[in-house]
Amino acid sequence: MLNLRHKYVFLLPGLLVLLAIILFPLLFTIRVSFSSWDVVMPGLDWFGGRNYTRMWADGRFWEAMQRLVMVAVSSVALQYVLGFSLALLVWRNIRMKRFFRVLFLVPMMTTPVIMTVIWRTIFHESLGPLNNFIEMLGLPAVPWLSTASTAVISLVIVEVWQWTPFMFLLLLAGLLSLPREPFQAAAIDGAGPVRTFFNVTMPLMAPISIGALIIRLIEASKIMETVYVLTAGGPGTATETASYYIYIRGLREFQIGYAAALSVTYLVLMIIALTIIAKILARIMILKD
Amino acid sequence: MRKMLITTALVALMAPSMVMAKDYSKYGIDKDVAGLCSYEAIDAKDYSGRTLSIITHAVPVMGEPTALHAKQFGELTGAKVKVVHVPFGDLFQRIMIPFQTGQSAYDVMFYGSLWIGDFNRYLAPVPEKYRNSKAMKLVTPNYIDVATLGKQMIQYPIDGDRHYLKYRRDVLENADLKKKFKDKTGRELQVPATWEEYDEIAAFFNGWDWDGDGEKNYGSAEVVKRDDLMFSAFISRVAGYAKHPDVKGGFFFDLETMTPLVNSPGWVRGLEMFIKAQRFMPPGGNNFGLGDEIFSFGGGQTLFSYSWDDAFIQAMEKKSRIRNKVMAAPLPGSHEVWNRKTGKWDHFDTPNRAPYITWGWTSAVAASSKNKDMAFDYLCFFSNQANTPHDLQIGRFGVNPYRSNHFDPAFWTEKLGWDAKVADSYVKTLSGMDDSKNRVFDLRVPGVGQFMSSLAAGVSEAMAGQKTAQEALDGVAREWSRIVERIGKERVRDAYANVVALEDNLR
Amino acid sequence: MFVLYRSLKYFVLLVWSAFVALPFLWALTTSFKTANGVVSGATYIPWLQYEPSLEGWKVLFRGEGKGIDIITPYLNSLTVTLSASFISLLLGTLAAYGLSRFSWRAGPIRNADITFFFISQRIMPPIVLSIPFFLMLRMLGLLDSRAGLVLVYIALLMPIVVWVMVDFFNNIPRELDETAMLDGCGPLETFWRVILPNCKPGLVVAGLFCIVFGWNDFFFAFILTFTETQLLPVAIVSLNSSVTPWWSLSASSLIAVVPLVILAFVIEKYLSSGNLAGAIK
Repeated sequence: MLNLRHKYVFLLPGLLVLLAIILFPLLFTIRVSFSSWDVVMPGLDWFGGRNYTRMWADGRFWEAMQRLVMVAVSSVALQYVLGFSLALLVWRNIRMKRFFRVLFLVPMMTTPVIMTVIWRTIFHESLGPLNNFIEMLGLPAVPWLSTASTAVISLVIVEVWQWTPFMFLLLLAGLLSLPREPFQAAAIDGAGPVRTFFNVTMPLMAPISIGALIIRLIEASKIMETVYVLTAGGPGTATETASYYIYIRGLREFQIGYAAALSVTYLVLMIIALTIIAKILARIMILKD
Repeated sequence: MRKMLITTALVALMAPSMVMAKDYSKYGIDKDVAGLCSYEAIDAKDYSGRTLSIITHAVPVMGEPTALHAKQFGELTGAKVKVVHVPFGDLFQRIMIPFQTGQSAYDVMFYGSLWIGDFNRYLAPVPEKYRNSKAMKLVTPNYIDVATLGKQMIQYPIDGDRHYLKYRRDVLENADLKKKFKDKTGRELQVPATWEEYDEIAAFFNGWDWDGDGEKNYGSAEVVKRDDLMFSAFISRVAGYAKHPDVKGGFFFDLETMTPLVNSPGWVRGLEMFIKAQRFMPPGGNNFGLGDEIFSFGGGQTLFSYSWDDAFIQAMEKKSRIRNKVMAAPLPGSHEVWNRKTGKWDHFDTPNRAPYITWGWTSAVAASSKNKDMAFDYLCFFSNQANTPHDLQIGRFGVNPYRSNHFDPAFWTEKLGWDAKVADSYVKTLSGMDDSKNRVFDLRVPGVGQFMSSLAAGVSEAMAGQKTAQEALDGVAREWSRIVERIGKERVRDAYANVVALEDNLR
Repeated sequence: MFVLYRSLKYFVLLVWSAFVALPFLWALTTSFKTANGVVSGATYIPWLQYEPSLEGWKVLFRGEGKGIDIITPYLNSLTVTLSASFISLLLGTLAAYGLSRFSWRAGPIRNADITFFFISQRIMPPIVLSIPFFLMLRMLGLLDSRAGLVLVYIALLMPIVVWVMVDFFNNIPRELDETAMLDGCGPLETFWRVILPNCKPGLVVAGLFCIVFGWNDFFFAFILTFTETQLLPVAIVSLNSSVTPWWSLSASSLIAVVPLVILAFVIEKYLSSGNLAGAIK
């Protein structure tokens, strides 16, 4: 087998560099969460667990957490289905393959802070193009950002537009690096496209699918600038997600200690949730047969 | 009489500049005006080899004049001046993080004056020579007050901001429309003096094309987007109901007990009116930020708007299709005013108006700066009497009148070609706010961000129908009590006492 | 049946293309408007529906104050993004290979846990991290510098590389390593000569992700700089004043995406060059 002494050469440089950069900020954040650092009192005093007890009773945070679950799960699920379908469509030879492949990647390459401003202009109910189109078709205008349900849908549309390419790229690369033999074998067995997909493609794509879903869930959950630009959490609290709430408490109100407690809790909950989700996904996707 | 005196004073001030040797017209100014930081005085200074760091608002509002005068300052003194431009929503943290971590990042800061309660301990007081300068003596009392904390001036006045009403003159003066309105409501169509009248007129002019351009028009454009600047719009709407001219001792809190007053009936009435107003806002109007409000009123879509100058200035831009079709007026008030001392609504025959001396752009020098001399010279130069008239003329700069000699209608008609009536309404509205004895100031206390953000969250919940006005404001009051507790009752009270002193005209 | 499937396929592709492209077309037409063009409702065709103006584009090159000077931030962004991406790709790929090919255990910690540790670095919302990062760069004297941003970006980007590459390495049969070893290659040489060329799609994906995330980060580039160093998103956003300038933000969104689109064209062909089936024979 491989020479085991060499294994450190591979892993350690990356691991140590990462630890060197991230360890201080991480520990510092945990420490801050036990302090009362805010706008009038900068510094690391000892505040005990009071930030955490306050959080426990903070309805807005827990509601924002639930909302986050809804927004993140729905947008990532949509991105996965759409991204996978598109990847399958441009996987094999089709006309203008390169054009489609590159075009489908472009939304991901835009800067979210700026692109969301453009989306806001698109959703603008009296000056934007979307309602203009809808009215030209003779349909009633949609209050995109000004009712609770439509505001959430608008948010998901922007997320899907921006990040489906991420799924698409990852899954397309996965498809393109699949070995050929299983497909040839399936063809010899006389399997149709549907059976080939479920029996061959899906199982082979399972690890990369799980990887893609997990990383997108992580990223989608951090949604913050998009919310700020589109709706600033409104109407009411309809689009106030956990990370946006942390942003408001942390940087707008400068309650650093409290925001740190929220962040640490968020981190722990996310790690637990993602571990469970990864296990469930693995069970569904890999052990199905 | 007063105007004549000012004009005489101006002429007297300008006289020496006529014989000045050096010509600074290449900087775009009419002529240099002698003073502490005139072009000539600054030209005589030598700051070569030194660097001045400035943080300011995004281009162009405030950002562009900051950069323009920074460049001029650099050329005149030899200093290297570096400017960074930041959107308003991100400005606070960008300044606060270096402050709190002891990093001396900027010498000069331009920011919203309501943050004085948080920033004051990191700011350098304005030295006496600048406070006694001729240019400073002309700054109106409101803006001296805004710049001052207790007895100390720690912000450098460079702009005047206020909320006032803007309306479409072509509608309110149109005989046809006046008749239509009277037929429908039985009342004369007039500039609204109360929020109830505002509502009635806005409702009537909502949802149909009254300017004949083929697009629907609407009643009212307001800043309603949560975590944008909605809290200021809300305070404007509340002031008339909740700021009783004879009840002293606090508008946001009862200064004695530090009990929040946000859930008192005056505030609740203001919120109920705000909720109702959503019906005559343009589509999506309950998600309008300041920029949307400016486009909506300034672009000719809506009849009414109130908040900062921007929408008015946008409407009066050279290429605007509603140029000279807008007018300014004081914010509406109310016949009914809540008296928290007696626990009753008091009736006023003349509507009670409480001008809200809204926070606006201000500037300051960091206490940690190693270039305080240069920094104050820069601010003094920025606002010298040659630059200000220049900046006032350029709408996108966002510099609005703040010296007594700015309130001259002739300036706006001659320099900018405004219609005389428009200029007159603008100047009268603005200067009128200085004469009021029933002013409302911002909550200039430590943690103002927390107070205002929880207020906005509560108001927004009520606007979205998640809670009633009373429930929402009760929630805000509870939250405010907790914030006071966290920050320290005495600390908040001490700071708030300064605000109340201004409001109660104790100085 | 087949014809139906084919036309359905192209129909879907075209619908999605439209969904992807329309915001850009809207941005393109908006970029030639002025405030007057914006406030008169949604318009699409210049000259016919609105008076076009180059203001939205000019303002990006007008220089400090009157607009922005987009060139310097552009170059800064390129430098920072490429440096951080390169280092992340290098360290991350090595680490991913180490995690894919060797077994690790320390107490209860296994390979999967270490892999998860990498990616878990991205979970934390950046808000509160900004303060310790600020303090850290201050101690190192790297505030307001490109080097400081590169350092922070490495911590943000490397986890993505590790996460993506572990999966790709896992897909490469171990026989490939063993054959190379038997041929007398050392582990590093095996990795470099045999394994890497076979997972170009993975490298392309990971590299592109690094560049996308690095190029578009706003938050850290914003908090950790003052007046000296400015990256592209921060420079663009400094045009977002009281009135949101629809025109110049539209123009800048198009300008900012150009280098990445070019990059995408260049690397797209490497996507299908990891032909493993061929490699094993």
